Amino acid sequence: MVIPTQASGERVIGYSKSPVNEGKLCLKGYSGLSYNFSKERLKYPLIKRNGEFVRVSWEAALTETSNRLKKIIKEYGPDSVAFQSSAKCTNEENYLMQKIARVIGTNNIDHCARSCHSPTAMGLITTLGAGAATGSINSLDDSKTYFVIGSNTTEQHPIIGTRIIKGRKKGKNLIVADPRKTQLAEIASIHLQFNPGTDVALLNSIMHVILEENLEDTKFIEERTEGFSALRQELAKYSPEIVEGITGIEPEKLREAAKIIAKEKPTSILYAMGITQHVHGTENVMSISNLGLLTGNLGVRGGGIFPLRGQNNVQGSSDMGALSEWYPGYIPVNSDSVKRFEILWKRGLPTNTGLTLSEMFDAAVDGSLKAIYIMGENPLVTEAAISDVEKGIENLELLIVQDIFMTLTAGVADVVLPATTSLEKEGTFTNTERRIQKVNVIYDSPGEAMPDWWILNEIGKRVGGLESYDNPRSIFEEIRKAIPNYSGATYENIYPTGKQWPINKDNPDGTEILHTKSFPIGKGKLVPIPYRPPAEVTDANYDFIMTTGRNYYHFHSGTMSRRTDVLERESPEPYVEINTEDAKRIGARNSQKITIESRHGSIETKVKTTDKIPAGIVFVPFHFDESRVNRLVGKNLDPLSKIPEFKVVAVRLVV
Amino acid sequence: METAFIAISRDFQTYGAVERDGEVIFDRVAGFDQVSEERSRYAPKEFLMKRNENVLILNVENKTAVFGIKSCDLKGFYLMDKQVFGKDPFYTEKREKTLFANFVCSEPCSGGFCSSFGGPVLDQYDLQILREGEKFHVMVSEKYDRYFGEFKKEAGTFYSDFSNRFNSKLEPLPVEGIERRIKWNSELWKEYASACISCGACNFECPTCYCFDLYDDGNERKREWDSCILSGFTSSSAGNIRKDLDERLRQRFYHKFVYFKKSKDTYLCTGCNRCVEDCPVGIDIKEVITYDYNRE
Repeated sequence: MVIPTQASGERVIGYSKSPVNEGKLCLKGYSGLSYNFSKERLKYPLIKRNGEFVRVSWEAALTETSNRLKKIIKEYGPDSVAFQSSAKCTNEENYLMQKIARVIGTNNIDHCARSCHSPTAMGLITTLGAGAATGSINSLDDSKTYFVIGSNTTEQHPIIGTRIIKGRKKGKNLIVADPRKTQLAEIASIHLQFNPGTDVALLNSIMHVILEENLEDTKFIEERTEGFSALRQELAKYSPEIVEGITGIEPEKLREAAKIIAKEKPTSILYAMGITQHVHGTENVMSISNLGLLTGNLGVRGGGIFPLRGQNNVQGSSDMGALSEWYPGYIPVNSDSVKRFEILWKRGLPTNTGLTLSEMFDAAVDGSLKAIYIMGENPLVTEAAISDVEKGIENLELLIVQDIFMTLTAGVADVVLPATTSLEKEGTFTNTERRIQKVNVIYDSPGEAMPDWWILNEIGKRVGGLESYDNPRSIFEEIRKAIPNYSGATYENIYPTGKQWPINKDNPDGTEILHTKSFPIGKGKLVPIPYRPPAEVTDANYDFIMTTGRNYYHFHSGTMSRRTDVLERESPEPYVEINTEDAKRIGARNSQKITIESRHGSIETKVKTTDKIPAGIVFVPFHFDESRVNRLVGKNLDPLSKIPEFKVVAVRLVV
Repeated sequence: METAFIAISRDFQTYGAVERDGEVIFDRVAGFDQVSEERSRYAPKEFLMKRNENVLILNVENKTAVFGIKSCDLKGFYLMDKQVFGKDPFYTEKREKTLFANFVCSEPCSGGFCSSFGGPVLDQYDLQILREGEKFHVMVSEKYDRYFGEFKKEAGTFYSDFSNRFNSKLEPLPVEGIERRIKWNSELWKEYASACISCGACNFECPTCYCFDLYDDGNERKREWDSCILSGFTSSSAGNIRKDLDERLRQRFYHKFVYFKKSKDTYLCTGCNRCVEDCPVGIDIKEVITYDYNRE
């Protein structure tokens, strides 16, 4: 909650009535807002002429943008244009952007959920019927055991992390599976410090032990699931003794962890990018789902599966259908249900699967994609295989970037449209526990910056012939018609504490715990998942495994947090975390500049020695323009969700 | 009170504690009857030290009156004064032009421990207001006496009697001598560090914390509230001399209970309990006071 008063400037307080954080904030809450008032905010529309940005009026910018888009569509067809939406923007804006894409005839609409939780959507929709957290943040207080895998919760979802810390201090069980010794790992009952990319082997082995010890929930399996015998057959191969050679986990430790997870119920399973950002990301998610189902931890308070969302509105932007394979509400693009949108939007719609984020840049390289319209994304920092992104962008006829700052990506655009921040616009966000929450206008925008929905609305009218929306509320009213799970939500009833979807006639107050009686697909599906190694492995030339991610202080490509004084001071420069012994061995001292090379590229960065990371593994955060770790990440995609493997990259360190 | 409020509002921009969406915050108020007597969600430090402000040009500030601050929060400014008043021109300019009308709580609040530091009746104030039924008792400093010219002056012991009653209801913690008892190598600091997520709530919510960081933004030089539990705080060329989080957490308590006591002869704490209420992992400053350090 941000309080503006004339005398006091801005003041951020935790809203004590909020069920999400109960009024508690992390450092980004307290200190993370200065970017909003930065002198570097974009204030006017800009169009590039002879390599230089020139300030133009909104009318000129909108007319030129629309005309150029229309010309490209006319010449090359609608699939020559692609849209990148944003999990930082509101539901209304995401809905509007995907609608524009589809109305002009293309499913080339995607956003950063592709790079974080597309495996969650794909995996959990397949096994449970809903790609979302099954419980609420509050319900974590009723867990007896937390199983945290691939999530540095106290740094990435600090307030959820504090629930676990408090639970642990009260004596609850905490099993942490992570290659790094995270803060939660330090206080865990058991820390399974396994090798990166071996999640499926680890999870299968845990389930192997559960079956071996007859600790599975037989009643739940019988009544609520299908596919058990096939799963049992697959799991038989994963005895802890065999799996130790893959994961590096001692059998006894693994057995003990498995017993706690299965016996000390309810158990909540929390995961994040450590699970999803792999070539087998979707399979990792389905393995987690297997574990939840096998132990009967779904549909019960204190149990459940919690994919922790890394941006304010990843759940919402995915719900809105800003994804190339789904219309709003996860209606597959090739299904008959698309008719619903043809009626709602009054025109024929495309039913071919569109391009995903990384495929868009490939298509730009091969020349089939001519224009990309990016809203609030910075792929030149965040996408895997940056050199391909660069080549793709170079090849485009038109790049439109709508943002609040001149990001690296905006810098190479043909048109830059100045947008407003979330403190300057109205709309809704849907958080990690499916809670639809309202945001309100707190501040005036600088210069001529306009809300994203307004800009899209103007483009939609001109390019797609869309009827004009008066305000975000009128878009939300349409969302209620488009997505049944949102049908019962109104701007009035979700304010101020929000409500969790599904919210509809049957659940007017929303739904805290999913799947209590049945799954949307009937029975939960147990899916046998064979272990496959990660795409990249070490060899004599590339002898370290690098994992990438965020740190506590920065958010994503740093566009906002690096313009925020205290956050930038805490983490001012790029670095690589190296195990202290490894650093000694290769002769690198703390703060020394070294080169990291992968099979895809190289960067320079500073050494930070630590004992929190095991030998043979290095960690590099991706926030920094000046040393983009995604130059090193290859384009190894999960075939099911198309997420790149950001978590396992073979590298060598050159001192 | 309304009469005095009207008189004051002729000379000052008036602010007060008001309820919005279930939280008590500070905003403009047009009458004393609009002022909430509930404790605000936060200590309103930003009236004197904004969370983020320009420090290149010293602006002449408007005269501001703030109604409804609670004694514990107001006391924070009097403690801050000892360190920054007269030295920090931005703070000083606002401090001199701001009138605070503080409410004395009639009952102890849940968790608060103000009686450990003298209780809610302050001996320094601008207007100190204590409700008794429908009636208000007001203590007025000389500076603002003129606004209460026509009111009955009462001598006597009403306030001191109230204070004694209040402090006997809320037993003070054994603060006295904490600067000698507290232990450098106590296991407390490591225990706290294992749970702390470095959010800074204990600093940002504290009515006595005044540290800030300086930075440049375009053609402006700004400062922003800072937190001593962060590793970049008071960083030198060798980094923060308190390398680990447990050392930084200890520093915060030592500053409040040892160093400030030694240099200013008072503790840098008002017993407001805000750092406890807003700590997401339940670190309790009261434990630092009551902990049996001899046991270790």
